[in-house]
This record gives sequence, structure tokens and C-alpha cells, in this order.
Amino acid sequence: MASTATAGAVTTPRTRPGRQKRRHGGLTPWLFAIPALAVYIWFLVYPAFNSLYFSLTDWDGLSPGYNIVGLDNYKAMVNDDVVLKAAINNLIWTVVTIVVPVVLGLALAITLNGKVRGKPILRMLFYTPGVLPLVAVASIWGWLYNPDYGAVNEFLRLIGLDSLAQPWLGQNSTALAAVMVPAIWLRTGFPMLLYLAALQGISQDQYEAATMDGATKSQQFWHITMPNLKPAHYIVLALSLIDSFKVFDLIYATTYGGPGSATQVMGTWMYFNVFQYYQAGYGTAIAVVITVVAIAVSIPYVRSQTKEHDS
Amino acid sequence: MSSLGSASVPQPAAVLPDAVVAIREPVAGPPKSKGGITATVVLSIAAVIWISPLVLLLITSVRPLADFIASGPLTWPSEFTWSNFTDAWSIGKFATTYRNSAILLLLKVPIGVLLSAMLAYALSKLRIRFRRAIMFTVFLGLTIPIYITIVPVFIMLRSMGITDNLLGLVGPYLAFGIPFEVLVLQSFFRQLPDELIEAARIDGASDWRIFFRLILPLSLPALVTVAILDAVATWNEFLFALIVLNSDASKTIPVGLLNFQGQFANNNTGLAAGILIAVVPILLAYVVLQRWIVGGLTAGATKG
Repeated sequence: MASTATAGAVTTPRTRPGRQKRRHGGLTPWLFAIPALAVYIWFLVYPAFNSLYFSLTDWDGLSPGYNIVGLDNYKAMVNDDVVLKAAINNLIWTVVTIVVPVVLGLALAITLNGKVRGKPILRMLFYTPGVLPLVAVASIWGWLYNPDYGAVNEFLRLIGLDSLAQPWLGQNSTALAAVMVPAIWLRTGFPMLLYLAALQGISQDQYEAATMDGATKSQQFWHITMPNLKPAHYIVLALSLIDSFKVFDLIYATTYGGPGSATQVMGTWMYFNVFQYYQAGYGTAIAVVITVVAIAVSIPYVRSQTKEHDS
Repeated sequence: MSSLGSASVPQPAAVLPDAVVAIREPVAGPPKSKGGITATVVLSIAAVIWISPLVLLLITSVRPLADFIASGPLTWPSEFTWSNFTDAWSIGKFATTYRNSAILLLLKVPIGVLLSAMLAYALSKLRIRFRRAIMFTVFLGLTIPIYITIVPVFIMLRSMGITDNLLGLVGPYLAFGIPFEVLVLQSFFRQLPDELIEAARIDGASDWRIFFRLILPLSLPALVTVAILDAVATWNEFLFALIVLNSDASKTIPVGLLNFQGQFANNNTGLAAGILIAVVPILLAYVVLQRWIVGGLTAGATKG
């Protein structure tokens, strides 16, 4: 059934006969749309704007009253070393947890797309970390990194690198990198799946023609594979970017932002301000900043998803 | 042959990637008999390394603590035991957290899929006004981090008296699930031929009847995919659950696991068993429903 629909999708012309006849359908479409829109606005849009308002107050999150303080919270962020640290960490996090999984995922997809046995099982294994709850991923890696009896240090001792055994999550120099490893672990499967799907759409004829013309494997990769993957690159990068701004669970559950503020990101620093230091106004201001950045960089993607079939 | 990956063509929720793979593979390589051994071996080794944290976890969870401490994490157990699981199950209160997560999932997922399907239908097949604006607004929700909403949502739930209550999570979970579900479903609905709907309309069927009796049954693969992905996201959600649920009686699996992790910091084998208890349902579901999950994940992606 689905494949019939697919075939239809490819051949059906854009302008369908029924299209121009009916104008806007009046009330009925709204009856279909309103339940979901109401929930969406009630629990997402309205709270987001409400946060914008709270970010202009000095509310502590507990007292009944508060004052409007204008942009004071935003000004305070400039002088907050932890905000600076968190912003830098967010940036590092974004770059590393996009670039590494995308490159690894592409390499895996290309290899899997070649002559390989047990393809479905391999594909399944590489994506497995991606379905786990982030808290569980954090627990697993916290356990692996344990300085005394964790498998990571034990492995280093086993191969004679005792000197490298160290408290990976517990020291400033390694904590952020150590938290990014599980992020890479769980995020590599997704680009792999997308690239694999995209690679399967590239016609073999192109490669055969290129081979006959004497093109090397590397030429084929750069001149056939990569151009054909362009839409996939776009989606992978857009979704990874969106995802990377949301980082919270993994850091909260592994290092709690520490040691010190070594692994603090905007999401966790926002949380600590609201729920530990009782600075709800300031915390929401932090959330507003990162949300605005997240939206700004994602607008092209959202627009592409909206426009697509209208052209 | 339908081309799943031809990314410039708008795709339906490409729910059957395996079918496509299965069709393609025999065509792809006549010289399949030989070769591929090196790639297979390399990938297999990589896969084993990739999955090794879970394997270690499994091995650790079935050995006595004393054995673990004496021989270290990278050894084969000298004896086996189930007691880590029974200890972890009762101390981690997994009976409660399992029940809570299951209730939440059963409550949230069907409602979410139905509401999203209705909106997706209005956007794809009914001539709704402000369609582009609605789509833009809803899809923008994909990019919004949860933590921008937690303070107002918490206040809202407190005034409704449903903090520390699973019911309090339903609204926020629905709202954050809607963008993705609508994105996938409307792209699937759009591929259903308009003629079908017109024919039903000429036969006198109302939009509701068409939706429930025609659109939904025809879209079952997409609905199932979306429901599964939504179930995984609901089962795993942490931040809302962390701020809304306080008492042990109302905690879901991720929050319960975090607590448990704190308590079992020095009991490695028990901790391993507890983590496994928390992830086994999701792993089983993944293995069984893999085809649908992969299809759903690539659905939004093979277009653009």
C-alpha cells in the first residue's frame, strides 16, 4: 500500500485537477486543526512567550511578587563567567557532536552500502544507542568512566597505559570531552540511517558509466556520491544542529555541569539558576537567548519544510 | 521501482525502507559472491566495539559483586547470579516507575497521534486558511528547546494542581510531540490521491467520515511509525518529568533511574542490572519494530 502511494507521489503532477475548484473550505478544516493547535499553543507557544516576560523580571520562582527589571538579566549575563563558559561549551558541543557523528555516519553508510553481509544487523547495532534514554546512556558511561573500577581505565591498564588512567569526568581538562563521547556514540546512528537511505536512491547507472569512462573510486565519490547526497547533507546538518542546542539530559545526568562549571551548558545553567539558586527571571533569560539562537539558525530548515509542496 | 532516497522528490513517510532495500539489493551487485569480506569483517569489529558498553553491562549484571571487585570489569564472570536484578528491581522501585511510564505512554501516544493526524489532514487535504503560517508555526516547534517552557509550564501545572502527577506531563508531551508528528503525517497524507477523497465526497461522505474511514486506514503504516517514535520519545523524556514529578510514587523510568544511580554508586553489579532493567523494554521494542523506527526517522529526511 505504501509503495503504491510512493509511486503516485513520483508521477502525480503538482497541480491536481481538484485543486483550483475548491476555495478555502470554511469551518470544517478548523475543527480538524484546532485541537492540536490549542494544545500546541497552550503548552508550547504561550509558555515560550511567558518565559520571555519572566526574563524581564527579578522573580525568584517562589515569592508571589516580583519587579519588572527590563533588560537587567540580559545585561547580567554579560558579566556572568559561567554564561560565557556555557556558551563556549555549547559551541564546542555543537561543532564536535555534529562533525564527528556526521563523518562517522557517512563512512558507515558508504561502507554498508557496498558489498557487506549482514547489513540489517550491522545497521541495527550501530543505531542501537540512539534509542536509549539519555539518562541510561549517562548512567552507562558514568559507570564505564568510574576512576577505580570503570572499564575505560581498566582497559588502559590492561594494555599497559596505566599512566593514562584518570578520572575522566571528574577533572576540568577531560570532563567535556568525556561527556561528548557518549553523545557521539548515540548520535552516529542517525546520520548513518539517513545517508544509507539517500545512497540507496542513487542510480547505479551513473557509477557504471563513470567506471567505463575510467573514473577512479575517489573521483566517483566526489563527483557522483557527494553531489547526490547534497539534500541528505542539508537535512542531517539541520536536524543535528537543532538537536545540539537542546543538550541537557546527558550533561545533567553525567557531570551535573561540573566539575566546577567545566561542562556547564546554557540548558543546565538555566536549570540550576531556576531550581537551585532561585533566580527564575535570570534563568529564563538564559533560556530565551539560546532559544532565539536555535530558532534563528533553524529558520531556513523550517521554511524548506513548509514551502516544499507549494511551489 | 520507487526510489526511496531520491531526495528532491517529496516522499511519503517512507515507512518501508527494508522493502526497498530488499528490492534493490539483488539488482545492485552481480559480483556479490566474492568480495565484501574485508568490509564485512571491519564493520563487524566496529559494531562489536560500538555495542561493547552494553555487552559489558550485561556481563556485569549477572555476576556477584564480589566477583566483579576481585576480577575487574573486563573479565569473564567466575559465577553467575540473578540476585542483582531482584535487588535492583525492588530498591529501584522499578515496578512503580514501569507502571507510571506505561500509563503515560498509553495515555499520551494515542491522543497525540490522533490530534496530529487531524491537523495534518487539515493542512494537507482541506483548504484551510493561513495554511503556510500554521505549518511554519508548528514546524518551528521542532527547534524550540524544552527548557524555554519549563518555568511557565510548572507554574501552570501548579495552578491546576497537577504537579507531582503523571497527568501534568500529558499536555507538555503532546505539545512537544505535535510538530514532528504533523510533519511526517502531512507529508504522507499529501501522497494520497485527491481523486479518492473527491469520489468519497461525491458519494456524500462528510470530511469526518472520509478522515476516519478512508484516510486513517490508508495511512496505517505512517500512523504506526509515528506512534512508535512518539512512544520512544515519551518513554525516554527526562526534563519535564524531572521538574514535575517529586515523589517516588509518581516517577517515570528516566527519573527513577537517575535516583537509583545515585543510591547504587558503589554497587556496580546492581547498577548494571538496574540500567538494564530500565532499557530492556526499549531495546526489545527497537529490535522488534526496527523497520518502522528506521522508516520514520528517514521519512522527514529523504526530502528537502
